[in-house]
Amino acid sequence: MKTEKSEFLARSKPLVRKLIDLLSEDYKYVSVLGTDTKGKSYVVSKTGTEVNDFMFAERGFVVRVHNGVNYSEYSFNEISEDSLTSIVDDIKTKLNKVAPEISVNSYDLVKEEELCDQFFSESQINPESISSETIIEELTKIKDAACALSDLVVNFSVSFHSMHVSKIFMSKKKDLEQSYLICQAMAICVARRENKVKEFYYPLSGMKGYEILADLEGAYKQTVEECIKLLDAEPVKPGEYEVICSPDITGLIAHEAFGHGVEMDMFVKERAKGAEYIDKRVASPITSMHDGAAAATHVSSYLFDDEGTIGTDTVVIKDGILKNGISDLLSALKLGTTPTGNGKRQSFERKAYARMTNTFFEAGNDTYDDMLASIKYGYQIEGMYSGMEDPKNWGIQCIAVLGREIVDGKFTGRLISPVVMTGFVPDLLQSITMVSDQVELDGCGYCGKGYKELVKTSNGGPYIKARVRLG
Amino acid sequence: MLERIRKILMNQNDITGFKICETKVQSNELFFVKKNVDMDRAKSVHHFKVTVYIDSEENGKNLTGSSTTNIHPTMSDAEIEEAIKETAFAAKFVKNPYYPLAKPVASYETAPESSFAKETLPYWMNQITKAIYKNDIYDKGGINSCEIFLNKIETRIVNSEGVDVHNVEYKCMVEFITTWKEDGEEIELYRCINCSDFDEELFAEEVKNMITTCREKAVARNTPALQTFPVILTREAVRDFCSYYTAKSNAASIYNQYSTWKMGEQVQGNQVKGDFITVTLDPFLKNSVHSSGFDSDGVALTPVTIIENGELKRYEANTRYAHYLSVAPTGSIGNVVVKGGSKTAEELQQEPHLKTVAFSDFYMDELTGDFCGEIRLALYYDGKSTIPVSGGSISGNINKLHHEMYLSKELWKDNNFEGPLMVKLLNVTVAGIE
Repeated sequence: MKTEKSEFLARSKPLVRKLIDLLSEDYKYVSVLGTDTKGKSYVVSKTGTEVNDFMFAERGFVVRVHNGVNYSEYSFNEISEDSLTSIVDDIKTKLNKVAPEISVNSYDLVKEEELCDQFFSESQINPESISSETIIEELTKIKDAACALSDLVVNFSVSFHSMHVSKIFMSKKKDLEQSYLICQAMAICVARRENKVKEFYYPLSGMKGYEILADLEGAYKQTVEECIKLLDAEPVKPGEYEVICSPDITGLIAHEAFGHGVEMDMFVKERAKGAEYIDKRVASPITSMHDGAAAATHVSSYLFDDEGTIGTDTVVIKDGILKNGISDLLSALKLGTTPTGNGKRQSFERKAYARMTNTFFEAGNDTYDDMLASIKYGYQIEGMYSGMEDPKNWGIQCIAVLGREIVDGKFTGRLISPVVMTGFVPDLLQSITMVSDQVELDGCGYCGKGYKELVKTSNGGPYIKARVRLG
Repeated sequence: MLERIRKILMNQNDITGFKICETKVQSNELFFVKKNVDMDRAKSVHHFKVTVYIDSEENGKNLTGSSTTNIHPTMSDAEIEEAIKETAFAAKFVKNPYYPLAKPVASYETAPESSFAKETLPYWMNQITKAIYKNDIYDKGGINSCEIFLNKIETRIVNSEGVDVHNVEYKCMVEFITTWKEDGEEIELYRCINCSDFDEELFAEEVKNMITTCREKAVARNTPALQTFPVILTREAVRDFCSYYTAKSNAASIYNQYSTWKMGEQVQGNQVKGDFITVTLDPFLKNSVHSSGFDSDGVALTPVTIIENGELKRYEANTRYAHYLSVAPTGSIGNVVVKGGSKTAEELQQEPHLKTVAFSDFYMDELTGDFCGEIRLALYYDGKSTIPVSGGSISGNINKLHHEMYLSKELWKDNNFEGPLMVKLLNVTVAGIE
């Protein structure tokens, strides 16, 4: 099934074209991004049911103009034939009010080629065709089955979220449109024994439709069992260990280590050490990493980014050598590089930055069984909680749900939780000695730039064996 | 537009109640690289969130269903009606226990007017810029980049019970990166200030403080492997640490069984050796972006003490969860005030300790009580001298440590939090790298 285009954006296009023409009388570059994102969030738990519009549902426009020196932007969400003149007036009167003593950076004009293209994603089942009654019933069935498994389960929630994203990008030379469907589902178990409480979650996500929920029906039992096992987890004894990172933790490392580290707006600000390391070794020779809207089909796959640049597949690291960064349009303009289609906005109300899309390490040649057998004493680290980047000084912080103890190549059944993994990025990546042969991606979470600007990304990779500091 | 939506809602026979939340936002934004403006932005947006409620009865139980949808100003009446009908259909299958909607009250207290109301947004953008860059005067360090956002937000909340409240608030956010370079690598640190009023000294002093902190990090050594050690948390980490107390006191957490705290309970246990904690929620805290006379349901807010000398006195409860737990609603209050402790900051620092200054991202798990963070800068005092250290991490669980914690007498304020400048904990795990 092909994702439907937005009727609102379709009928707004003639107005947007008129607005571009009006603004072009005063500005040499004018572009408009229009968004119409809709979707529903369903959450069913032991104690209640919630149905709301998806939190990033929106409808609006952002205009970008070259003001003669650099670029200015204006976001708005009311447009009609009658309001076009007032939008133009707002752009002229509300922007460029900086005091004369404050200096301003200059930017060249964007050079555009003629381009007219569109993209509509495919999925099996359109969630908009499934009634709320059916979705709530299915989620309730999973929740009830999970709660019946153990008295230690104090709450169990099942959620399903759909995002139907539609965008247009128009300028003098570009006319682009796309609609795609992203769905995610999650089971979260909270278990308590006496005063100890633990949480375990099972995520699913993708450029898919309602069919994603079928996978959750088989996962609730595992979610409850793992959560109950966590009640016996102990804190880790701080130190350096050999570890196997599960694909979600591999993805977290890729994301925090060399995803944020090669966002090229950081190169412009001289905030990224990566700028000095292009064509130099940063990881072990068996390590290769990609990012790109065209690098995978997942939650951050699209035809064009929020600045009208076509998405690509960027090889960030090839055989351990840092090769390329990922770039928004204006950073590329400043640096004299080619934009990679990574200019993303949290919404039409926010600025575009260089952001990750689908970020992952390539598969290697090792089998998982060989990797496990090679560990004398260590842990398998699983379950992403959070991470934080440090592109300037290459520190890394990854917080994981648990570590499974491995002794002489076998799991002992003992768990540690939570797990704080820290270190110096090149030390961590150069310690990678084995890489498994299959890549998995997850895109349930959101990526922030610092503590804001949340965007959808997917991250992943194969299982990797490395040496890390745990605390 | 609001009246159009209200009229359509009033014509829906199958719904028993509604709430409309209208927000109009005007903003100006500046993005700096070093001292230069790299981009400027402005916005003018208008949003409506409509919640519909459907009360019903099933097997002798009273139920309330609800569902929320966005109404866009570009929607026609037919589109609005379709969106509301679809939302009402979904609400029919949401079968939560009954709860009442907020009722209007005679009067609402209001937060003091912000000085931002006295001039235009572009005027204040220039004033904020000057204040932020006032102390960017050093040769070896300064502001690498900075983003300034100033929003004027008009909010109106209307419900079917007659609530109709309105306010205008200002939300300012300044995010900046400071750097410092000695002989080695250049060091950077992150800071974000949120506020609702113009305070030149706050902006200028925070920048100066962050540049000074960068200078210390530039000469930091590796954190020693201390195993378990007394740790003093400061500033933002104290705020995040204290969020555990408000999370566990929240009525929704109690109802959902994420918290087992009961009113009258000593939340730090019965054998407290250190300071007791006292937490007040103050909806009118000065210079907070969360200060307001009403919450998102339109409930009138007043200050309330939820934990006093370690004893849980009240749950923070919105209308729905207050009804579920049969307690008086406090409304949802976004400002937290934690009382200072028995010792001065100097007294807390007399014995050997590790005082944290900056983390990559201090993590406080409000469900389990686990906390941790990678150390970007800490000051290690071994009993003789103090040295700046960096790297490694600290971790622990608040439930195992807060029976003996010490809060500084000195207070620190940041946006919606006012509390001790320092919290000292014993036996925190320190994973060093030396």
